[in-house]
Amino acid sequence: MATTSYRVERWTRQSRLFAVIIALVLMVLAIGPFIFSADITDRLTTLFVYVILAAMWNAMAGYAGLVSIGNQVFIGLGGYFLIRLSDAGVSLYPAVVLAALIVGLIALPVGELMLRLRGGEFAIGMWVLAELSHFLVNLDPVIQGETGTSLTALNAYPPVAARNDTYWVGFVLMVVLLAVVFALLRGRVGAGVQAIRDDEVAAASVGVKVHAGKRIMFVLAAIGCAAAGGVWLATTISFQPGTFFGIQWTAYMLFMALVGGLGTFEGPIIGAILFFIMESWFGATGVAYLIGLGVTALAFSLFLPRGIWGSVETRLGIRLLPVGFSLRLVNPDGGRDRD
Amino acid sequence: MKKNKVFLESIKNSAPKNSTPQAGVSRRGVLGAAGAGVAASALSRSAYGQTMAAAGPANTLKIGFVSPRSGPLAGFGEADPFVLGLARQKFASGLMIGGKTYTVEIIDRDTQSDPARASQLTKDLINNDNVDMVLATSTPEVTNPAADAAEAAGMPFLSTVCPWESWYFGRGAKPGQPSPFKWTYHFSFGVAQFATSYLASWDTVPTNKKIGVLSPNDADGQAIRAHLFPLLANAGYTIVDPGPYEDGTTDYADQIAQFKSAGVQIFNTFPIPPDFTTFWRQAAQHGLTRQIRIAEIAKTGLFPSQVEASGSLGYRLAAAAYWHKVFPYASPITGLDGMKLANAYETASGKQWQQQLGMSMALLDAGFAALSQSGDPKNKAGLAKTLSTLKVVTTCGLIDFTTGPVPNVAISPLLNGQWLKAHSGPYKLSYVLVDNAEDHNVPVTHKLLPYH
Repeated sequence: MATTSYRVERWTRQSRLFAVIIALVLMVLAIGPFIFSADITDRLTTLFVYVILAAMWNAMAGYAGLVSIGNQVFIGLGGYFLIRLSDAGVSLYPAVVLAALIVGLIALPVGELMLRLRGGEFAIGMWVLAELSHFLVNLDPVIQGETGTSLTALNAYPPVAARNDTYWVGFVLMVVLLAVVFALLRGRVGAGVQAIRDDEVAAASVGVKVHAGKRIMFVLAAIGCAAAGGVWLATTISFQPGTFFGIQWTAYMLFMALVGGLGTFEGPIIGAILFFIMESWFGATGVAYLIGLGVTALAFSLFLPRGIWGSVETRLGIRLLPVGFSLRLVNPDGGRDRD
Repeated sequence: MKKNKVFLESIKNSAPKNSTPQAGVSRRGVLGAAGAGVAASALSRSAYGQTMAAAGPANTLKIGFVSPRSGPLAGFGEADPFVLGLARQKFASGLMIGGKTYTVEIIDRDTQSDPARASQLTKDLINNDNVDMVLATSTPEVTNPAADAAEAAGMPFLSTVCPWESWYFGRGAKPGQPSPFKWTYHFSFGVAQFATSYLASWDTVPTNKKIGVLSPNDADGQAIRAHLFPLLANAGYTIVDPGPYEDGTTDYADQIAQFKSAGVQIFNTFPIPPDFTTFWRQAAQHGLTRQIRIAEIAKTGLFPSQVEASGSLGYRLAAAAYWHKVFPYASPITGLDGMKLANAYETASGKQWQQQLGMSMALLDAGFAALSQSGDPKNKAGLAKTLSTLKVVTTCGLIDFTTGPVPNVAISPLLNGQWLKAHSGPYKLSYVLVDNAEDHNVPVTHKLLPYH
């Protein structure tokens, strides 16, 4: 019996190379408004919103097993508090961040209640929460029911400055939120929540703090989705409650996470880019586009249930951004890398 | 068939202007592609569109036209392809402004009744198509997000068919404060116009002056409850209000019982269209419709299809009109008056004329009047300034921004009308005007007839 030596690796050569590429892309994106046209700047801001949403939904569903069909509650509340703060005279961009943090604070007690629910109950419960928040927001005289209101504070900025600043705020929020998810997944919390996702009872039995893990993901998703809602409001300006609290957001998030690859770090980002491309190309076809989205999601769940990135990862063993560890066997006849 | 045509048109409109990037001008697109990685393929297309547009001649005027052609609001956009066709035909040989002849290009976009899409399309028109002005029409779901996008981009903008209160206050303007809008303008009726047209025509039918009102718990419903009902009460009418109900309610037994026991003879409602059909059937089953002398509906009953949904219960429903084919005004663009416009539409489409036809035409009338009066339509600040004092007679009558209730807004009239069973012609219903209090140049052809 030959002794096999092995090495535990986190950063493979591949992932190091990829990290450099990512850094370069981020550097280009960081100076985006200087090199891109107005339209591309504007569209990329929307893409950042999608990436944040997909990553947040994935953090809940893909890692903590919290499948929600009501995350639009956070998007809507993020927009609502931005309107409220801006109405109270808070400067626009700090208000985006502040609104997200307020939603995070609200998510703490709300999470205590919601996280008692399991599986389907939690999913439906979140939807109920979204509808309830929608009605409550409608009662605010500033919002004027379904008519809504607009982020008039934005009119104070020259058009170019408003567009570029919104881009940067969206970009920074996306990078920070992705970095937080990445850091969380690599640490104790990440291992814990993945254990919860696979089997909650078993995870608890080996000492994983189930409730704490879920709570962290829930609050993170609340803050992230609220930030996305705020950035989205800064690009569309009109706050119409029906649109912000609409169930279509859940469909989008589901599509991005499922098609990209649920439970992978890279998947939702790829899903968001794919969704963004489909919307840009086929959005004008209306009903046909929506049917196309549905069919694509269906086809993926039937034939590629792990999504694009999940399949790439399992078949080719590629890890671009290492969330887990690789076990590299070092034996004389040069064995394959294993996870 | 119709839908298909619209559908094809929207595909056509979204097709790339030129798929081959020109040397030199595509640098931005290429950089964008490099930076955005996979997303680039989605983006570069629009980037080329933009560079091509920017490279276009300075004597082309581009006008964006945003309206709902599909989805729940599709009824409003039904006549738009026809109206746009008339304008395009008229401007095919260009438009002379300030001694310079411009080529005119009208780029129409379908919001699919989605407010988020209305915003995105408006931004697209501004960023990619480099339009010189954006026009938008029909309901706050279209006019408000489109106006917000235009305001943020510093783009001259004009819209119509959305109660001006919803457009102005609904976009964050505060009563008594200076207008926060510099680029966006709107002409439409408001709550006061409903009151004037109702009060002017209801007198012709003798009633006990008791109005049963059914107003939902949505933005329009609450605005009407707060602002219209007090005006009617001041005029000596007794309001019987069972309170707000939720949109989509299917059982109206309580409200019907209250109206019956109060003995109301006038009925007034601001529902979403399907709710009215439900309510009116139940009202008939419970015998309420037999005591109603005037059934005045709003928000629904605008188009023949909405009234046809009530079958014979739809005959003699009253509903106010923001345009009618008896309007005598000739469009400054086409020269067609109301009757000729309606007939041309019926001939071309095989469908009955409807009131949005005249309003979409009026929007183009007013928009092009502003372009002409500005002297230099390429000067955005100048064009916005022209809009702020625009005074022009359009298909729907005089639009005067110098006398509006608030800055950025001009009032257009609302006249009461009634749906009657058609006795001749290919259509089931005929829609007649019963009031002209808001505009005496429009002939009143009929007297309001009692519902029962």
